[in-house]
Amino acid sequence: MPEDVRTLRKKKRLSINQLASRSGISIATLIQYEKGELEISPSDLRRLAKALYVDEWDINPYSTPPPPAPPRREEQPARPPRPPRPKEQPKEQPKEPKQKKAPRQSPPARDSQIAHLLTLAARFDIDQAALQTEIGKPLSELTQKEARHWNGLFMRRVAEEKPPRATDRRRAYLPEGVDGFELAYLQEQQEAAASLHFTLFDGQTFEGPVVGFSPYQITIHEPGGDEVTLNKLAIAYYRKAGGAK
Amino acid sequence: MSLGDELRYLRAFHGGGNLQEIEDEIGLEPGTLRYMEQRYRRVGEDDELLARIAAYYGVPVERLQFHRERYRKALSTYLHRAQESGAMVRCELRTGETLSGKVRWWDLGAFGLDPDEGGPLTIVQRHSVLDWPLDEDHVANDQ
Repeated sequence: MPEDVRTLRKKKRLSINQLASRSGISIATLIQYEKGELEISPSDLRRLAKALYVDEWDINPYSTPPPPAPPRREEQPARPPRPPRPKEQPKEQPKEPKQKKAPRQSPPARDSQIAHLLTLAARFDIDQAALQTEIGKPLSELTQKEARHWNGLFMRRVAEEKPPRATDRRRAYLPEGVDGFELAYLQEQQEAAASLHFTLFDGQTFEGPVVGFSPYQITIHEPGGDEVTLNKLAIAYYRKAGGAK
Repeated sequence: MSLGDELRYLRAFHGGGNLQEIEDEIGLEPGTLRYMEQRYRRVGEDDELLARIAAYYGVPVERLQFHRERYRKALSTYLHRAQESGAMVRCELRTGETLSGKVRWWDLGAFGLDPDEGGPLTIVQRHSVLDWPLDEDHVANDQ
């Protein structure tokens, strides 16, 4: 039974930020996926499945929207009137001068704010520990107002300093860890509606434009009008139709 | 083709059985076949174990030993070095054909080859590569 990506993420005890790092999908997109505002694209579904160590069909591509947030104070039903204070306690001490009311405490920062802050900080090679040092308190203690302030600060830094981009990544890029090149090629051919010629292990050949693909299969539209799904394990090689053999 | 790819291929040709059931039938430790099918580095050093697997699939053990030498990392090294140096690669495919050309890219499952005789980019599935010029140095460095 497929489950919502949020449910799976919680089961794996991952934060949105961690899932974003693992899957390479932006936090904003993940939030949209989790809220059911956006259907998960096939390529992202594959990434999420890898990141969550589940099969693609374990993930519901269209998440159920989360239950609505509790109503705001002004929308809440009126409280029952307080019982009158007991009168038998006479005030013996003289009235103290009225103290100024403490300013209303901002609520704790939202997960998305923290995640955004971590993402922005990471662009400057600042990890969570360094960020907390800079802020002066644990991220979990940040209020919404403070998070807004720090996010704004980093956004301005991003605009001003243009931090190093992905080319400076610290982790080595290992092509054997991803099948991005082939999928990008297939995507390009599908968009161009180019006809591809496939040769299978047993010598059979198929030809037609790509109508869909996954890491394990490629579906083509044959000239006769039939759709054929080829298992990649059975494919030896393929190229644009009409090319030299 | 690596030993892992060959084992997957053999399993597919034997009805695509469940790994656990096959392991039980051969009498292997749970997870042995899964490990061998999925591992990128060299696996299958135990010839006695290979012989049991070969007997189950009805193939000579020498066939599995041949693929043991052609593990995925070795092919990665071959492709990577050729791409870096701009050298031509030559691959014998399971179809009996031999393709040669320059590597444009390579990844988890395939590589893009600009054929030396010209023509469009050819996407070769890594598991279809039966053999390539083995370099002792590649093998030694990649253990």
